[in-house]
Amino acid sequence: MENKNNYWKGLEELNKDPQFLQHKRNEFAEGIPLEEVFSEEDGGLNANRRDFLKYFGFGISAVALAACNKTPIKNAIPYIVKPENITPGIPNYYASTCNACAANCSILVKTREGRPIKIEGNNDSPVFKGAVCATGQGALLGLYDNDRFHAPQIDGAESTWEAIDKEIKKALASAKNIRLVTKTTNSPSGKKAIAEFTSKYPSTQHIQFEAFSLGSIAESNKIAFGKNVIPGYRFDLAKVIVSFGADFLGTWISPTEYTKQWASNRTPENKGMSRHIQFESLLSLTGSNADVRYPIKPSSEGVYLISLYNKIAALAGAPSLGNMPTVELPLNMIEMTAKELWAAKGASLVVSGSNNLDHQLLVNAINSLLNNIGTTVDLDNYSNQHFSNDAAFETLVNDLNSGTVDTVIFWDVNPVYAYYNSAKLIEGIKKAKTTITSNSSLDETAELCKYHVPANHFLESWNDNEPKAGYFALTQPTISPVFNTRQMEESLLRWADNNIAYYDYIRSNWKAVLSNEASFEDAWIKSLHDGFYMTPAKATTAAKANVDLSGTVNAAYSLYTSSKTNLEVRLYAKVGVRDGSHANNPWLQELPDPISKVTWDNYANISKATADSIGVKDGDLINITSKAGKIEALPVLVQPGQPNNTIAIAVGYGRTSGGRVAKNVGKNAYQMAAFTNKSVQFNNAAITIEKAEGKYELAQTQTHHTIEGRALIKEASLNEYLKDTKAGNHDHHAILKENGNLLTLWGEHDSKGHKWTMAVDLNKCTGCGACVVACNAENNVPVVGRAEVLKRREMHWIRIDRYYRFRNKENNNISKEKEYNNPETGVDFENVSVVHQPLMCQHCGHAPCETVCPVLATVHSSEGLNHMAYNRCVGTRYCANNCPYKVRRFNWFKYRENDQFDFNFNNDLGRMVINPDVTVRSRGVMEKCSFCVQRIQSGKLAAKLENRTIKDGDVKTACQQTCPADAIVFGDIHDPESNVAKHFKNERGFFLLDEYNVQPSVTYLTKIRNVDENLVAEEHHAGKHKNEATQESHQHSESKS
Amino acid sequence: MKIYRLLAFVVIFVFSLNSVLADATEGEKIFKANCTACHAINDKIVGPALKDVHKRRNPEWLLKWIKNSQALIKSGDPTAVALYKENNESVMTSFEQLSDAEIKSIVDYIQKESEQPAQTTATASVAGDGTSKTESNSNNSGFYSQTTFWALLVMTLILVVLLFVINKVKKVVDELHAQKFPATEENSEPIAISWKQNKASFRYKLFVKHPVVGTLMVSLLFMLVFGLYGFDYGNKYIGVQKGYAPEQPIKYSHELHAGTYKINCLYCHNGADKGKQASIPSPSTCMNCHMHVQAKEKYNGSVSPEIQKIYNAVGWDAEKRAYDPTKEKTPIKWVRIHNLPDHAYFNHAQHVKIGKVECQACHGPIEKMPVVSQQRSLQMGWCINCHREAKVDVANNNYYEKLHAKLKLDGKSMVTVAQNGGLECGKCHY
Repeated sequence: MENKNNYWKGLEELNKDPQFLQHKRNEFAEGIPLEEVFSEEDGGLNANRRDFLKYFGFGISAVALAACNKTPIKNAIPYIVKPENITPGIPNYYASTCNACAANCSILVKTREGRPIKIEGNNDSPVFKGAVCATGQGALLGLYDNDRFHAPQIDGAESTWEAIDKEIKKALASAKNIRLVTKTTNSPSGKKAIAEFTSKYPSTQHIQFEAFSLGSIAESNKIAFGKNVIPGYRFDLAKVIVSFGADFLGTWISPTEYTKQWASNRTPENKGMSRHIQFESLLSLTGSNADVRYPIKPSSEGVYLISLYNKIAALAGAPSLGNMPTVELPLNMIEMTAKELWAAKGASLVVSGSNNLDHQLLVNAINSLLNNIGTTVDLDNYSNQHFSNDAAFETLVNDLNSGTVDTVIFWDVNPVYAYYNSAKLIEGIKKAKTTITSNSSLDETAELCKYHVPANHFLESWNDNEPKAGYFALTQPTISPVFNTRQMEESLLRWADNNIAYYDYIRSNWKAVLSNEASFEDAWIKSLHDGFYMTPAKATTAAKANVDLSGTVNAAYSLYTSSKTNLEVRLYAKVGVRDGSHANNPWLQELPDPISKVTWDNYANISKATADSIGVKDGDLINITSKAGKIEALPVLVQPGQPNNTIAIAVGYGRTSGGRVAKNVGKNAYQMAAFTNKSVQFNNAAITIEKAEGKYELAQTQTHHTIEGRALIKEASLNEYLKDTKAGNHDHHAILKENGNLLTLWGEHDSKGHKWTMAVDLNKCTGCGACVVACNAENNVPVVGRAEVLKRREMHWIRIDRYYRFRNKENNNISKEKEYNNPETGVDFENVSVVHQPLMCQHCGHAPCETVCPVLATVHSSEGLNHMAYNRCVGTRYCANNCPYKVRRFNWFKYRENDQFDFNFNNDLGRMVINPDVTVRSRGVMEKCSFCVQRIQSGKLAAKLENRTIKDGDVKTACQQTCPADAIVFGDIHDPESNVAKHFKNERGFFLLDEYNVQPSVTYLTKIRNVDENLVAEEHHAGKHKNEATQESHQHSESKS
Repeated sequence: MKIYRLLAFVVIFVFSLNSVLADATEGEKIFKANCTACHAINDKIVGPALKDVHKRRNPEWLLKWIKNSQALIKSGDPTAVALYKENNESVMTSFEQLSDAEIKSIVDYIQKESEQPAQTTATASVAGDGTSKTESNSNNSGFYSQTTFWALLVMTLILVVLLFVINKVKKVVDELHAQKFPATEENSEPIAISWKQNKASFRYKLFVKHPVVGTLMVSLLFMLVFGLYGFDYGNKYIGVQKGYAPEQPIKYSHELHAGTYKINCLYCHNGADKGKQASIPSPSTCMNCHMHVQAKEKYNGSVSPEIQKIYNAVGWDAEKRAYDPTKEKTPIKWVRIHNLPDHAYFNHAQHVKIGKVECQACHGPIEKMPVVSQQRSLQMGWCINCHREAKVDVANNNYYEKLHAKLKLDGKSMVTVAQNGGLECGKCHY
């Protein structure tokens, strides 16, 4: 026999040794001699039987012994006295107020057996309308943070409240100058407590400090209109919105409120859609949602504002500012914007995210020219959601260093981390005699303080806020303090010798708030129940800004000309971690950035051209030096949409203490800020940059090229849509017709009762990520950490895919990969169009995952759901392979009680957040979005218990409930009156990967941009071409995408 | 012949009783639903014992009293006022929703119960009928109860002693043998031969001649033993433990409370018709009755030690008849008997309120259990079997309005839980 292998086992084989030939058939060298052992020869029957009986007897008793397991004891411990309104197993909802940032959204806190497990939006609130952002959703985890102080401390040693109060009172009595540094304070009772404290210790000065300060806005209104407030912006009344770097959908002042307003004008079915124009120095969340976006350098914001002012002034017949040469953007963007604003005067809105007082004054002047004051800029029903006094804090730092201030109290602020000149502040704090902090964990500031008087988490507190003038929001505790902590307001009152409980204090203050109500008791109870109390809105008054701004022109123009080619730094806050106060929150750290999709890091956003000129690529490291400090080894991310010569870096990272999660994630960018013109500027033109050694891979959840040329995103311009409601979506309607004739593998599912479906409006989704965190909380989604995200093992059940549309310099779309690097036409990397697309399990009617599961762990339900039975799953992962949407997640590890994943699932306190209605998945099983089946089931049960049919809106998924843009609609498509059924009939609707005919239960609505150009010029032709192709190969429609 | 006569007599008696006491059965239902929280026939709970109440009070008075006792007291009725004072001025709930006929049926029921000797009340009625097929397996302690354990231990000790005795005897016999027949070469050798040398022995063949087979067999035996151990452990770990009847911190008897006193299950397990958990009552619920009921007659005038445990939990001072704030409150750690694994979602309200399943269908004849044991396997197959057979009451719940209409169109009147999707994974596993 020829051996093609040319390898032989040995000479015997080659020689055809007869013994070898005989043996090679037997697997064992000898047979097993069972027969001989049990033979009755020699020994005879007797011996054998006795032995057999001996072994048999032993065996039986051993087996009996083996079965002697004790049943593990599980205790059931009832309440000693059951609280009247708690029934175990049934959630209670308490109206409260989110204090994760000063926006103070109205929320509902879902508690089970007395522990908060979910934050939901309060739909009754006329201001916030049921929206909660990602940070608000994540704030829940802050309650169960094991790194919080467990008790008051003096010099790092745990103490008692009596002892610490005694010492602090003594220290305060002898203090020369006391400074109380707080965040934005908009609580009427809190302010009163501060006043009481101040009257007891008259040397006290109250300074409001915000890490990412916007103090110039209120200041500019004081100068221009005599009102030291942030106006109530009305994005819902604005037909044209122009934002200069204000990330009002993501992080600016009151993002959920603004997103609700903005989204209300993004429904093309209502014919009118606002036009949103964004000028910005990075690709922000808001910029990614703008109709028209133009990247500008931070140093040029002033001149563009002046230009815009002058262009509008010319239209209005007003004098222009100074004698500045015309500065214009390509395509005459400034002039176009001026014309549009002027055409919509009285119903337009210009905002700026800058903390430069001149810029804010210019914005005021422009809004004033446009008659917007009193309409879209409401100075009467103003906002209290952001106060900070940079100049006062600057003075404090100097006073601390000079020794004039000897006592400082930090109330939930962390300036040692967030102040740009941290070293100087540290020196100052070290010189102070008495340092007190209420910070909840041992953060950078607390490390330097003598007295730690840890404050409650807001879910453990009584509080009142007035986020908007006349809108009073109440906070009520939903759990007893987890640790030995005390509300800071109460601490201040104690030190002022007032021993009242803070609840009684608020209640007595509210007698004044509710003085117009017939019965205080009734109104108080109602306000607590609702979570807010509103006084009637004031009549708005128009006003004119009367400031001479000609002085700003020269400074702005010289800055513009001098730094035209300089590298500049622009700081920004990310949704999620925000200013850094939520850095110890693993949910928020793992929330992918809406644009870059990077988790667990900050980085230098650099444009392609700038990266090429410096000679860096993705993952290279750079050092950035400013006057105040140096960021070392910051990874580079080449970001489309980033203006050239501008480096955008997120603040909130690079914490050196403050908890296990916060520590050493990213780099601290606050040191790039600078104090000029009475306020802290979050951009800096005086920096130097150098390449650093090494590489660093960023943990991105979405990398490019996943689209594979398929039409996952559909868009049309508003004009096209108004002419043809199917614009941009013709192929869907063609395929739908085609699919009816296709042969399919699957039989139809019989669905008698409900059929749960979802609609996602791409036109409304801003990509803010609130749904992702809400889903984490609702469905016990584990945090996996940076290393696992790098291996693409993140567990999020809902992800938001972000797609870019690139154009070349001739303004044509880039449709082929090779064009990407075509040097002739080139790609305009500064100008990209972005679409956000939330993707969760599509609950296909013809689910490919179901077909391949060998153990039937994923099966279809009669209600149109694709069920996932974890306890049946054996982890073959065939389903994930066969899922065209890649929405299935595999548990590579046991993520709970595992020191390798030291996040909230690894300690008893952190696990308190677990939703008891949802299984905590174990290692080796697949999981995915369930359409919040636990909510469906409880909604159905509630209807049955109340003996009624289920109503539209009874069942809301977690993502839908929190969505600030109302982009997600969920319901029963068999109910023709339901909102989702109407969405399914919408001609904008399409299914992802229509051509596969997997019959998804999620429909997406085409993105409509309010732009002048045609977005689907060739679409009709392309659609036709596709149809022809489909006809040619009937059953293989998928082969051709 | 005699036995047939007896049988005929019993049958006739039962039938006649049935027709006479038709009212009383209606009354029993109402009594159990409304009165058992505070009243029993033979004992004082919160309110007085009701035995022979029909003799003590006239029917009109009872009617007024039950409908609105406070009104009667205010009207100055001397009996009512005296009764009110006698019972520490605790107010009896008004039952104005009950019709006169219904109240009369309650009185009839009390009359019937009063006439029976006290003992029979315990077994007179079995609440619920959905469980008529249940095996009345009173093996409440499982295979390895304490008794079995002690019996095994004693037997082992006896065996050890026997072994010792036999050894001693053998030694003595050997010595005697040696004295009588001094050792010679011929007769000593065969005795000394061990199995290692005996080529005919089974053990020799197994371990010396074919060590592979020996090892295999020994490891097989070990695998069998440990495998069984592991299987049993795993089963118990995930809650497959039919017959499990652990000792509870308080010797609470369902037989007494649910059986004898016929307290409605929902009085204590008040979550069962509301939500997921039936919930174990808090000791404060126990105190509603046990503030008064102390079973002193059984313990020579002192409070029953088991009831005292409730007092200890809530910090109640039985002497002063008041809560003592200085006493520490200690929760009662009951041992869970029915343990569903975490990945199975079960909601009591869905079954009790919507499906109208009797408690006994899953928990067995609980009213007969002095110590509660798990009567059903609670395994998935058992759930599924019920879902296959149980009907959905589509006609009497508006939630099923559309489904009912569809069924009517199809000419069907009933649908089982399974046909309504009750076998789908995601109905219980999420």
